[in-house]
Formats: sequence, C-alpha cells, structure tokens
Amino acid sequence: MIAFKKVTKSFGARTILNELDLEIPQGKIVFILGMSGTGKSVLLKNIVGLLKPDSGELYVDRFPVHQMSEHEMMDVRKICGMVFQQPALFDNLNVFENVAYGLRRHFELSEEEVSRRVEESLGHVGLKGIEAKQSHELSYGMKKRVSLARTIALKPKILLFDEPTTGLDPISTSRVNQLILDLSNQLGTTSLVVSHDMESALKVADHIVVLDKGHLLTQGTPAEMQESTIPLIQDFLAEVGAP
Amino acid sequence: MIVRSLNGLGDLLMYLGTVLRSALGSWRRREEIFDKSLLVIQQSLATTVFAGFFVGAIMTLQFTLQVQMFSALSYLGALVTSATVREVGPLLIAFLLSGKIGAFTSAELGTMKVSEQIDAIRCLGSDPIREVIVPRFLGIIIASFFLLSFGLLFSFFGGLLMATTFSGLPWEQYLSQIPRVVSGFSILSGVVKCFVFSLVIATICTYRGYTVFGGAKEVGDGVVQAATQTMIALVVADWFTTFILEGLINV
Ligand SMILES: Nc1ncnc2c1ncn2[C@@H]1O[C@H](COP(=O)(O)OP(=O)(O)OP(=O)(O)O)[C@@H](O)[C@H]1O
Ligand SMILES: [Mg+2]
Repeated sequence: MIAFKKVTKSFGARTILNELDLEIPQGKIVFILGMSGTGKSVLLKNIVGLLKPDSGELYVDRFPVHQMSEHEMMDVRKICGMVFQQPALFDNLNVFENVAYGLRRHFELSEEEVSRRVEESLGHVGLKGIEAKQSHELSYGMKKRVSLARTIALKPKILLFDEPTTGLDPISTSRVNQLILDLSNQLGTTSLVVSHDMESALKVADHIVVLDKGHLLTQGTPAEMQESTIPLIQDFLAEVGAP
Repeated sequence: MIVRSLNGLGDLLMYLGTVLRSALGSWRRREEIFDKSLLVIQQSLATTVFAGFFVGAIMTLQFTLQVQMFSALSYLGALVTSATVREVGPLLIAFLLSGKIGAFTSAELGTMKVSEQIDAIRCLGSDPIREVIVPRFLGIIIASFFLLSFGLLFSFFGGLLMATTFSGLPWEQYLSQIPRVVSGFSILSGVVKCFVFSLVIATICTYRGYTVFGGAKEVGDGVVQAATQTMIALVVADWFTTFILEGLINV
C-alpha cells in the first residue's frame, strides 16, 4: 500500500505536487495519467525517496518515507522497485552486470542464484541470451526492457513504472503489459504505472488516476473513465479512438 | 547575488565534507581508484609535459632580457626555476588540467545524472557518492598531483634548454646558482600548491557534474560552469596558499 497525505513538493517557486492525497491499494494495478510536466515522475521519485516531500506524509507499506534518512530508505527500496523513464543502464557494465547490480547490493545471494535471477528476468522481457552485450550495442527499446528486467530481478512487492512502454514497438508493449498483469496475478505485486498510453491503461489497470497541476483531477475504474465527461480524459480517450 | 554565492559555497563545502567522509572508507576500492588515476594520467600526460616544457622556456626568454640589463645572467637559472616552481608552473598547468580533466569529469557525471543512472544506483541499493564520485575524486587528486609535479620537472628542462640555446648560458652556470635561491621551501611551496590545486579541480568538477539537473543543454552549462569556476577558484587558492606559505616563512 502507498499513501500520500497532503504531500507538497516544490522546486524553487514552482509547486509541482500541491497537497496531494492519494492511496494505492495493495496488490492492485494503478495507472497514473497526466499531461507532460504535471509531476508524475516527481511523484514516483518521492515514493522511493529520491526526492523528499516539502510537507505532508507519505507511507509505503507503513514505512513513513517522508521522515526516513537515505540510509533507512534502503529497506524501502528493497521492497519497492522503480523502473525509470529513461533506460538508465550503466554504460560501463554489460547487460548481465546491469541486471545483477541491484541483486548484488540489496541481497546476499550466491553467484548461481544471481545468474539464475538475471536469466529469468531477461526471459520475462523477451531478451534471453544477451547477457554479454554492452549497453551501447542495444537499441533504445532493448535498453528499456533490460532496465525493466533489472528492477523486476529484485522481486519487489511494489513496482513503480515510469512510462514503461513509451518508445516500444506494439509487440514489446503488449509483452510488458502482460508482464505487469502476470506479476500482479502470480506474486500479488502492487503496480503503479505512469503512462500516456490510455489504451494500455484501459486494458491493464484496476484503477486509473488522473493528475493535473499537482492535484488529483479524478480517479476510477477503466469503465468509469470511459464514461467520464472531463475534457482532459476525453482527450486521452480520443487518442485511443475509444467511443 | 552575494547571498546566493555564499549559499552555493556552503553547499559545495558540505558536499566536500560528504565526499571526504566517504573517501575515508575507500581503501577497498583502491584498484578502481588506481585505474581512474591511470586513465586521467594517460589522457593528459602529453599535454602536461608539452605545456610544462614551454612554461620553462617562456620564463627563460622573459628573464633573459631582464637579467641582461643588470649583467646578472648567471642568476638566470635560479630566477626561472624559483618563479616557475613556486608560482607560474603550478598555476598554468592546473589551468590546463581543469580544462582537460575537469570538462571530461563534469560532462561524464552530468550525463549520468540526467540519464537517471545516479537515481538508479540509489534505488538499486548503493550510494553514488561512494560508487561514482569518490573513485573519480581521488583519481583526479592523485593524477593531477602526479601530472603537476611531472609538468614542473619538464618546465625545468624547458628552461635549461632555452638558456643554453637562446641565452648562451652554459648549463653548469645555469644550474650553479639554483641551490642558492631555490630552497627546500620553494619546492615545498610548489608541492603544496600542486596538492591544493588538485583538490580544487577534483571538488568543483565532480560537484558541478553531480548537481546537474535537466537534459543535454544543462550538461553543457554544467561543463562550462565547472571550467570557469575552477579557474576562478584556482586563482583564489593560489593567492591564498601563497599568502599562508609566505606568512609561515616569516614567523
Ligand atoms: N530535481 C528537480 N529540480 C528542479 N525541477 C525539477 C526536478 N525534477 C522535476 N522538476 C520539474 O518538475 C516538473 C515536473 O516534472 P516531471 O518529470 O515529474 O513531469 P512528468 O509529469 O513526469 O512529465 P513527462 O510526462 O514529460 O515525463 C518539471 O517542470 C520539471 O522541470
Ligand atoms: Mg516523467
């Protein structure tokens, strides 16, 4: 479970999150939609403590993230993985070492176990057998999927995705969507997915949240969203060509 | 403006504190630090030697004209060496290194920052200061110190060569007066400056890279800021160390 209670985050004079209240229930898949620059990435980064709220309370699985130190946050980051908007692969490491990076640091695993988990996660994103490649040899879409594999290798209880399918081909997109569904069904993972992709949201989400100007504009099930008369949501729906 | 600069300086010092604290425990990573220093040395050795050599040569040219007026050509070696080791050499070579190493490091770190690699390191259970900054920081200090000393050595040869060819002073004479003017203190002074300048370059360039936010444009801005701020800081640090060192010799 993730709970925002009146969370405010500003940069200088610009308030990005303005007394935001939001709850993400356990085991559900929640999509966050919103215009570019509304602070979706900022919202995710607050959850894992990469940014700190200026005020308000933020709980992740009962950890009071808003008052925890960088050192204490490691416990949260172990159970709450984040897939970044950019691939963010380490250029000086090959694919295997990239995917193994978090496994080696968050856990004490045997070398066999690390290899097994790396292979398994690369399999999940459809990239078996590229362990020895350097990150500059990969296409953008492949990097993004390796980055996804790097995070799911940790088997976190909560997964945060920052536009996981942006820039992917349709086949990879549906594979990633399926992966999000599978993780939720098989492991009970809670997923919070930032996306511009209404089509994926309607297919995958249990719940859709729409942000606008640092506030929660509206939220509801995909079915409720399709009935919505709010202009911004109708714009999003128009993109998909839904009625 | 002034308040902002002071705030900025405070942040920089806090950053330096964090890095130094983290550097204390970095013995485990000595191989990586060694690799980084080697990389920096490889990148800059040729330029440093070249520049050092010419600094010595230029100083000899300048001083030749002046000492000739006082028919004191035999003091040429002493004057050139003293001025180069204590002042001109360290500063000029440090400028050069700030351009070369500084730009490389701030661009590299800035890119890691804007491509979210630094964030990823934190999420994947590690500390970017320890993993990324400290090896580069210490690598730069070790390498710059080595390069500066090496550059100074070559400035000496540059001076000597110029004196024998251009000024017509036999090399024994060039060398003969050096011990009288160039004391252990001069050399110590040069060494201290080399160390201080290395610290300045390493601190500002890693800090500027690490604090970039935005995209490619901001990385570019960060690199330019790193270069200009390092140069300003070098001049100030030079004045300050000279002040302290001269103060020490007079007590
Ligand atoms: N560390 C930071 N320092 C200063 N400003 C920041 C920082 N992080 C984000 N911002 C600003 O906050 C605003 C929201 O950024 P954010 O990346 O969260 O948008 P977003 O909703 O994810 O947009 P997009 O869909 O384009 O990814 C932007 O204007 C950005 O410039
Ligand atoms: Mg974003």
